[in-house]
Amino acid sequence: MVRNKRVGAKASVLAAAAALLLSACGGAGVDAEASAAPSGDAALAECGSYAIAMHAWVGYTASAQVITEVAKANGCDISQVTLAEAGVTYDAMESGSVDLVVEDWGGGRWQEWADRGALVEVGDNGNVGIIGMYVPQWMADEYPDITDSANLNKYADLFVNDESKGKGAWYEGPPGYTTIGEKMVSANKLNFTVLPQGSEAALIDIFTKAAENKTAAIGYWWTPQNFLAKVPMARVNFPANDWTDPAEASGLTDYPELPLMKLATPKVMEANDAFTKIVKNFKWTNDDQNQVAADIESGTDPAVAAQKWIDANKATVDGWLK
Amino acid sequence: MSVRTEPAIKIAPKSIRRSWILGGLLIIWVAVAQILQGKATLELAVPDNSKFTAWAGEVADSIRDNRNDGLAFKYFFNPIREFIDGFVNIIREFIAIPNGSSSIPVLGWLGVISLIGFVVFAVSNVRMAFAAMALTFACGALGLWTDSMDTLAMTFAAVILSLAIGIPVGIWAGLSDRVLKVVTPILDLAQILPTLVYLAPLALVFLIGPASATIATMVYSIPIAVRLTAFGIRGVPTSPVEAGTSMGTTKRQLLRKVQLPMSSRTIIMGINQTVMAALSFVVIAALIGAPGLGKPVIDALIIRNVGDGFVAGIAVVLIAIMLDRSTSAAITKKETFVPPSEADRKRRKLALIIAGITAIVGIVLSRQMVWAAFFPKQIDISSQVANVSDFAVTWVTENLELLTAGLSKAVTVGVLNPLESILANSPWYLTITMITLISLILGGVRSAIVSATLLIAVVATGLWYDTMITFTQTIVATMLTMIVGVIVGVWIGRSVRAERALRPILDAGQTLPAFVYLIPMLGFFGPSRFTAIATGIVYSIPIVVKIVGQGIREVPVNMVEAATSTGSTKWQLITKVQLPAAKKSLLLATNQGLIFVLAVVVIGGFVGGGGLGYLVLLGSSKPELQGKGLVAGFCILLLGVMIDRIAQYMVARNSAPKH
Repeated sequence: MVRNKRVGAKASVLAAAAALLLSACGGAGVDAEASAAPSGDAALAECGSYAIAMHAWVGYTASAQVITEVAKANGCDISQVTLAEAGVTYDAMESGSVDLVVEDWGGGRWQEWADRGALVEVGDNGNVGIIGMYVPQWMADEYPDITDSANLNKYADLFVNDESKGKGAWYEGPPGYTTIGEKMVSANKLNFTVLPQGSEAALIDIFTKAAENKTAAIGYWWTPQNFLAKVPMARVNFPANDWTDPAEASGLTDYPELPLMKLATPKVMEANDAFTKIVKNFKWTNDDQNQVAADIESGTDPAVAAQKWIDANKATVDGWLK
Repeated sequence: MSVRTEPAIKIAPKSIRRSWILGGLLIIWVAVAQILQGKATLELAVPDNSKFTAWAGEVADSIRDNRNDGLAFKYFFNPIREFIDGFVNIIREFIAIPNGSSSIPVLGWLGVISLIGFVVFAVSNVRMAFAAMALTFACGALGLWTDSMDTLAMTFAAVILSLAIGIPVGIWAGLSDRVLKVVTPILDLAQILPTLVYLAPLALVFLIGPASATIATMVYSIPIAVRLTAFGIRGVPTSPVEAGTSMGTTKRQLLRKVQLPMSSRTIIMGINQTVMAALSFVVIAALIGAPGLGKPVIDALIIRNVGDGFVAGIAVVLIAIMLDRSTSAAITKKETFVPPSEADRKRRKLALIIAGITAIVGIVLSRQMVWAAFFPKQIDISSQVANVSDFAVTWVTENLELLTAGLSKAVTVGVLNPLESILANSPWYLTITMITLISLILGGVRSAIVSATLLIAVVATGLWYDTMITFTQTIVATMLTMIVGVIVGVWIGRSVRAERALRPILDAGQTLPAFVYLIPMLGFFGPSRFTAIATGIVYSIPIVVKIVGQGIREVPVNMVEAATSTGSTKWQLITKVQLPAAKKSLLLATNQGLIFVLAVVVIGGFVGGGGLGYLVLLGSSKPELQGKGLVAGFCILLLGVMIDRIAQYMVARNSAPKH
């Protein structure tokens, strides 16, 4: 103990000496060289500073990055904050910590926050979420009538595995998405067990292996998602859709097409600066998003991938700024 | 030894009778479960709420609506947030983010490494100092200097705050039985309740950013500091304490001169484990906007880039190893302290001065020279590390498929499905009756009452079926954890070399973020309940190994020598002497193994585990099911408490005086 105390005393003397030295030289050397770089331009004053919530899927990254680059080019000060989706993000918007969600699939789960004035539903971002149940392409080739939901029971035996309790395994979508698998199975009297999948990664694993090993699988999938371009799959058709609120869905019909929404704080909507315009007018197609997403997935830096698309689509981008 | 075996023979008939009854019960259970398969399972469809979960959702909503209570925020939450944010940011400005108007932190990379080298040298030795410097340098070489420093700063802040609360409470709980009784359920609650359940409320109150992340980390890491400190104090042999008391020392002197020094090894282990716990939170922290290595992990996960994920994960592990080794080296040095000669002391003093001057030179350089301020971009091994990780994962997925698929199938068909069919897929009243009877036989009346009460509470929540699905997986995961953990723990407890070799792997298991190996695990086993179990045991095995190893090492040398001299074989030595003598450690290991398994039940929800873990995930992303997620979190807690209490009563009963 005695020795330790001595070491402690010495360390604190040293620390004090170091602190003195530090305050004396003040990091001037490094700053002098670093400040040689240009530091922002005057246009910054016109547009405010905003934080964009970043969610964990690549399509989202693509949209958010394009908005970030366009806004920065117009003098806005943009930061990106990685955040869990839904509640955490809406609360953060309410407290003013983040200002924008560029792609929400929630179909109105933000309503309670919108009613309180915490956020504003700005409208759709041009992307349309198309959700459905898919089988690997080889199954559609081998059993052409499998893509009709009425024939699913005929093939249920193909889908049985150790997880599925003797019935066909029906792989359900991730928790953040609109899912009505259990209703679909019971309403259509399908001989399947719904297996909840907690992540996009789990579904990708299932479909990739099903394509590679020619194993059977039926699962939830959606676009825009650039995975379909790599691993072809066939959609199983259920009767045309007749619902918008998942709570009221009968389960007999397919998923509806879902416009993906932009959500912003009142601060953004009232600022009336370049960012307000970009947020209000930002709109692009599923193809656009998939292009940028594909670049990001193949390892391109998101900022570079976004800039590449912006350079190639000047007219569209200019339209957002009007 | 003869004294030991005698009572064992005496109680044999009773325990044989007990196992006959138990066997009979199991046969009846399986038979009745077969007949009533699928009846009264209380299965609740995923999108549906039970009455209770709907009510919980409404309560959560009303708390949310009423939170605009300005006073609580002004005088309570905001000051706490500002204090923690301030504390974290001071450390960050020191090593991670630009300080004030400057373009660099107070210390550039060379300065940080110099300072770490000096501090580690001052508390331990030269070798350790160079190792710590090399590990820190490696984080920079992985291309993640700033993120690593952010994580180091956040960890440092969380650990200091956790220890400031955890060690005093731990000492108190070590000295007083009543305090221990009061805090234990709170510790269980804090350690088992899934972070995702309280993450959103925390972010609601303390806003997103470092403060919420630090508090979330502390909720999880304080219990570890408390438990291990209390355990250490209680483990001090009674004779020195009695000797102290008889010599008239005060309680305070007793604590400072006897109990604390004698339990310092365990307390240091508590500090290590607190560090590990804090580091296991980097990704969760990133989900609420905190800085650090969690962000590159998530970025890699987004594009399913296994290699990049590992690069960021390895940086977390390197920091863990650096902090862990430095603290351990400090304590070993203290223990092996032989009064140094005058010459030794002079030499040491000189070395310290030289080291100090070198450190100051490094620090000054890091503020004057660009090359010493910003980590050189030329030194970057990240793509090589990413390629190696990618290659290894692909190789295992492609070449060991028979093995991985076989293992998964064996456990699923051989253990999981049968267990699930009797626990979850038979009527709830049958399951409750049987579990109550079994705990009556194993642990006595009180244990039976606890089990029955907790299980009926689960039924009342409406999440019975999902709880039983999770119960099944928890039992299997804990069993696998204990089997592997005890074997490896005994091995490292007996061999210093094995301990050295395995320690980095154990540290990696505890701190490599699960999100890094989620995708490889899916690749190995596919989305399934087994994959959920596999991800869980990666995290829980290391703590069991460490505690068991420590316990074996602490078995008094004379006991081992006595057994060896009477000609015991190695096997006899382990099973008859070392394991029984390390019984307390085995108990703590079982408790922690179980708690760690339950702590990652939610991670299992990501990879096809279903059950309560999935409901917690669902509740955190679907506002209409938030009550269900909340209640699912509490059901995980009820499960943990039930299993733990049955185990405790069982042990208490079997170790009661056998005269």
